[in-house]
Amino acid sequence: MFWESYLPSAFAGDAQPDVAQPLMDDEAFAGFYERSARSLWAYLARTSGDPALAEDLMQESYVRFLSAAGAPSHLNEGEVACRRYLFRIATNLLRDHWRRPRAASIEGIPENFFARPSHAAQCDSQMTLGPALAKMRPRERQLLWLAHAEGYSHGEIAEVTGLASASIRLLLFRARRKIARLLTDEKRGRVKAC
Amino acid sequence: MLKTCSRENEVRELVERGQWPQACAPELRAHVESCRSCADYVLITTAFRSARAEAVAGVTLPPPGVLWWRAQLRRRNAAVERIGRPILGAQIFALAINLMLAVAFILWQARHGLAWLSWFSSTAGPAQGQQAVFHLDSFWSPQLLSSGLNSMTSPLVLIPAIATLVLLGGVVVYLATEKQ
Repeated sequence: MFWESYLPSAFAGDAQPDVAQPLMDDEAFAGFYERSARSLWAYLARTSGDPALAEDLMQESYVRFLSAAGAPSHLNEGEVACRRYLFRIATNLLRDHWRRPRAASIEGIPENFFARPSHAAQCDSQMTLGPALAKMRPRERQLLWLAHAEGYSHGEIAEVTGLASASIRLLLFRARRKIARLLTDEKRGRVKAC
Repeated sequence: MLKTCSRENEVRELVERGQWPQACAPELRAHVESCRSCADYVLITTAFRSARAEAVAGVTLPPPGVLWWRAQLRRRNAAVERIGRPILGAQIFALAINLMLAVAFILWQARHGLAWLSWFSSTAGPAQGQQAVFHLDSFWSPQLLSSGLNSMTSPLVLIPAIATLVLLGGVVVYLATEKQ
């Protein structure tokens, strides 16, 4: 007799409640996915500069979110917490991806490493923001996107990135100064070109 | 160094509600033009918000069912792997026991002078002036049968024992490598 026959519950998917019970049913997930996937993709695409990578990481983020035992419950903690947890997974995946090809820290990666042109380069805002973002460090892009595109507070950004809240304030301040200067230069350059 | 403007919250609220600059008081607009911190905030936030709106509008999402199915598959594999861990341990333990038994058996045979080797040489060894031929009839000779009943070192015990060990070893190795 096979050993599987002694453990039917494991194969029915209810061996342990923490792992086997899904966080949300498929209908709830479909709704949550519809509401959150686009902004997650935008975050990944604009911080990585690679739409194909963004799609891969977005899918992996959702799979990990659904498989994670410690993920916040949709019913108990609400969608905002789920969304934050999802962004945290995506941020970690992005960091792992950046670390993989080089042994150096994320801070050591040069800015122009991510300066690949995007297929959305035709858009007006991308024409202005794209070149400026390409000159920023990956960490700075993440912080700026979370703060200014997603509207997250310092505490929420700290939760998503794993950095200390006090560090977020300083890093964000510097990043804001830097990108404001780049955006202004970019605008001036475009005006001159016209 | 980290000095921010006291009116930044007002500007922030207007931008977040989408009321900048239409619903903004002229006095606040004049402040933003003169304040670097507020001007930076408005410039960056409007750029990021419009970039986000464009990115969100342009993306084609894969169906959620595929991701749901992949997640379920991963959860199930994780559960099976967790349950399979002690089973794998048991398989390794069984392999170790088999190996120990095999080694003990070989040592025991060696201590008894490897009598079966001499039996092999007497059965298959060439006599003077003859070719080396292995005779199956020699397994069933009355002498060997009587000695097989009396001695554990006889071929009648030895060959099935080795065959059983080989068979069991094969089964254990198969079970241990089955997962891979």
